[in-house]
Amino acid sequence: MKTILDRRTLLRGVLGGATVSIGLPLLECFLNANGDALAAGGALPVRFGLFFWGNGVLPDLWNPIGEGGLDTFALSPQLEPLAPLKHKVCVVSGTAVKMPNVVPHMSGAAGILSAIPLIGNTDVDNTFGGPSIDQVIAAEIGGETRFRSLEIGVEPREGLSFNAPYSKNPPEDSPHALFERVFGAGFREPGEDALVDPSIALRRSVLDAVMTDADRMSKRISASDRIRLEQHLDGIRELELRLARLEEDPPDLAACMRPTEPDTEFPDIDGRPQLREKNRAMADITAMVLACDQTRVFSNWFTYPVANTLFPDATAGHHNLTHDEPGAQPECHAINTMIMEECSYFLQALDAVEEGEGTLLDHSAVLCTTDVSLGRTHSLDDFPIVIAGGACGQLRTGYHYRSQTAENSSKVLLTLLRSVGIVTDAYGEGEGRVTEGLAAIEI
Amino acid sequence: MAFRLAGLVFLAACGTTDAPEAPRVAVDPAAPVLRRLTAPQYTNALHDLFGDALVVPAKLEPDLSIDGLVAIGASRGTVSSRGVELYEEGAFLVAEQVVVSPVREMWVPCTPTSAVDSACAREALSWLAWRAWRRPVTEAEQQTLVALADEAAAQLGDFHLGLQYGVAAVLQAPSFLYREEVGEPRDGGRLYSSHEMASRLAFFLWNTLPDEELLELADSGDLNREGVLVEQVHRMVHDDRARQGLRAFVSELYHLDRLDDLTKDPALYPHMSEALGPAAREETLLAFEHVFLADEDYRDLLTTRRAYVDATLASVYGVQSPTPEGFGLVMLPEDEPRAGLLGQAAILGQHAHPTSSSPTLRGKFIRETLLCQVIPPPPADVDTSIPEPSGTAPTLRDRVAEHLEDPTCAGCHLLMDPLGLALEPFDGIGRYRLRDNGVLIDASGDLDGETYEDAEQLGQVLASDPDLGPCFTEQMYRYATGRNPELGELDLLEHLGERFTARGHSIQRLMMLIALSEGFRTAAPPSGELPTTQEEAG
Repeated sequence: MKTILDRRTLLRGVLGGATVSIGLPLLECFLNANGDALAAGGALPVRFGLFFWGNGVLPDLWNPIGEGGLDTFALSPQLEPLAPLKHKVCVVSGTAVKMPNVVPHMSGAAGILSAIPLIGNTDVDNTFGGPSIDQVIAAEIGGETRFRSLEIGVEPREGLSFNAPYSKNPPEDSPHALFERVFGAGFREPGEDALVDPSIALRRSVLDAVMTDADRMSKRISASDRIRLEQHLDGIRELELRLARLEEDPPDLAACMRPTEPDTEFPDIDGRPQLREKNRAMADITAMVLACDQTRVFSNWFTYPVANTLFPDATAGHHNLTHDEPGAQPECHAINTMIMEECSYFLQALDAVEEGEGTLLDHSAVLCTTDVSLGRTHSLDDFPIVIAGGACGQLRTGYHYRSQTAENSSKVLLTLLRSVGIVTDAYGEGEGRVTEGLAAIEI
Repeated sequence: MAFRLAGLVFLAACGTTDAPEAPRVAVDPAAPVLRRLTAPQYTNALHDLFGDALVVPAKLEPDLSIDGLVAIGASRGTVSSRGVELYEEGAFLVAEQVVVSPVREMWVPCTPTSAVDSACAREALSWLAWRAWRRPVTEAEQQTLVALADEAAAQLGDFHLGLQYGVAAVLQAPSFLYREEVGEPRDGGRLYSSHEMASRLAFFLWNTLPDEELLELADSGDLNREGVLVEQVHRMVHDDRARQGLRAFVSELYHLDRLDDLTKDPALYPHMSEALGPAAREETLLAFEHVFLADEDYRDLLTTRRAYVDATLASVYGVQSPTPEGFGLVMLPEDEPRAGLLGQAAILGQHAHPTSSSPTLRGKFIRETLLCQVIPPPPADVDTSIPEPSGTAPTLRDRVAEHLEDPTCAGCHLLMDPLGLALEPFDGIGRYRLRDNGVLIDASGDLDGETYEDAEQLGQVLASDPDLGPCFTEQMYRYATGRNPELGELDLLEHLGERFTARGHSIQRLMMLIALSEGFRTAAPPSGELPTTQEEAG
């Protein structure tokens, strides 16, 4: 009997018994007529990303006017910052997260990020019921790169990238630490002829010893603890792989270069975090992380659900304002607009990287979303969703799809899985489960 | 099935004079849980091994708080791949420091005769693994560690540089990072082994590794002998490291680590500064430490006018700073209602918003953390906003009252808001104020029928609430065991609560009672065959 579950087995189970297989050729962009090929002869990889913020939007100011293609819909006040990328985004409105809305903010986050109902019914004890979509995708396409996935954030707290219940991937909230982690010691640019550090091999020997101890312990503990320890073992295996990748020659990618080293600190100014500056530093580094193919899956946790982040000029924390600001909530609107400006900056940083005949953004699918629709009521109807990048032509862009029948938002997730090459006939559990994607936005 | 520890007869005369009699209430043992060392435990352990001057890793996998305690999160959470990376970085950060003088003289007992000196490596690494892993190290394990050090030393041409790799292996091993406590069969039941008990006691009472005395008693098997155990528990509770243990418990219980990130609008709160959060935490810790060390009544913490403040807190509280540097003792003014825990900035500031106080959050804290009562979360699809101040509703009490006219909100909010309103004379960072929007604040109310006029009286009402002592008992039990109590432990909990409340609410005594109880010493077998799919794992 196989004694240890691996990550893919776990994730398979979580996909609710649906048939999941991975079509290997789909993992990479189809070559166009000219052949968007790498120098090494491979095709360009497809990437998946998340840009997530807490506390929702004002749907009346969020939803675009008109539907359909570029010429038949107009961006809304809150989406206006995406104007330079209007032809590269797909806005989906009118769908609903169908989860039981048990814990304000977290039920919605679990719905839109995992399509599985939240476990637990209090604000102090709850967890996603399974992996978030970035990790479902990372399990399939993350094995090729040095990092299976990268989690970053601006004011992220612990983020919401879940491997399994109670198992999160904590985001890096320091641009400098992110830089060091990816481009620090051991990293070599394409063509850079540095000597391989001999200590890397010794570090791998140490990890072998650590694995032996983990295997021993695994035999003595309960089944549920064994699954937890297995997560740790996965991490060790990934670290071994990462060290091995450092010993290999770096991928030969034209756009790859070591980014400029960012400031080491972004201290609060007058009690307020430097949201814009941090986000932009993160964006510039992340673009190069992807251009250098160090990972193909990322998530940017801009802010966190229920967080009372003090935005520039706001008279109270964001979450408070969503509930306590009277009338049309101009402060909330200003905050949402700023978030979208930063989302836009992030996406434009990806769009600035040329790859073959397109850009890095063209070869990505980035889901931009939040935890509730209208913050004031914690509504999960008419959920705010933007998908940026066409995943190498798999997804419609320059498009607004409005669901007239309040379709399940999980359909978007199923479509996203397919767009990066995961072949599955269902996604989600319970009320979140769907067996079809959103055909209108698929190509 | 409940059972007693057969044959274990407590010998009252053997221990020390004031060690309490071990609770003799049977439990249905709960299944053991695999706890990861919390970040403070990891740090404390490294300082124990290599001295206080060691620079410890600043960044680790974040601790997870579940049901209000990191201790419970530590037995359910997992380590991410980023966390594994951080453990590796941390291990080498430490290893580099400890193989150079003068630190290495502290723990490497030999001088190498050549770059590769297996015997010397073995001496050093087997001691280190014994301490760090809290158990005997097998021959095979010793060989693995020595081989790593030898291989590296040969390659790097230096014994101590090579030794780093052995140290890094010890510190990354799950044997160090997790508490592998599964129990062993004993008298028809299952008892934590003496090594496991050494760890359980040390992490519960000291929040760090067992010391050599405990490990040696575990090696000889004596620790699980009743008299020895009582003697050790007594020693540990009176050891200076017990302060570290108490601080860890109090920090978890009141989420004091969150005070580092206290967000307050400086325009509204001119007394707000980056120093306030950490100062507020220290005040609460010093207050507990005082009651603990002097072995005073836990309830005093809710009523005392004695406060430990530094200059930052003194200015918030409007009292003379007792000392130019650090913390000193002051008596809070008689003409203000500030007293005890409910008057502390750590509680008032945390259970408030960045730009306002919050009667709801403060009331929730009292019900949930101090009285262990459960308040359901608000229904998700409701408008939870509080009306703006107006001519007819100038104070938060008026505004909340309007809001409470909605029966779907009132059910739960009536449990919280009236209690929190007693603390309205303290603003969002805990400064005293008489008025809210120009109107005198009415702080009166009642806690389940016991009336009070102001915050100080609320503290007194709470101090005599029958749920107070049992709740503190339950919180400490959850902290000690790393899990929520199971049905088979409820009799024990009731008994522990009675013993705590009947005899002076002594925190020292409660620690000893829990450490000696069957709930802390016995285990069910580790449950479950390995499932083959997630669905079977359920």
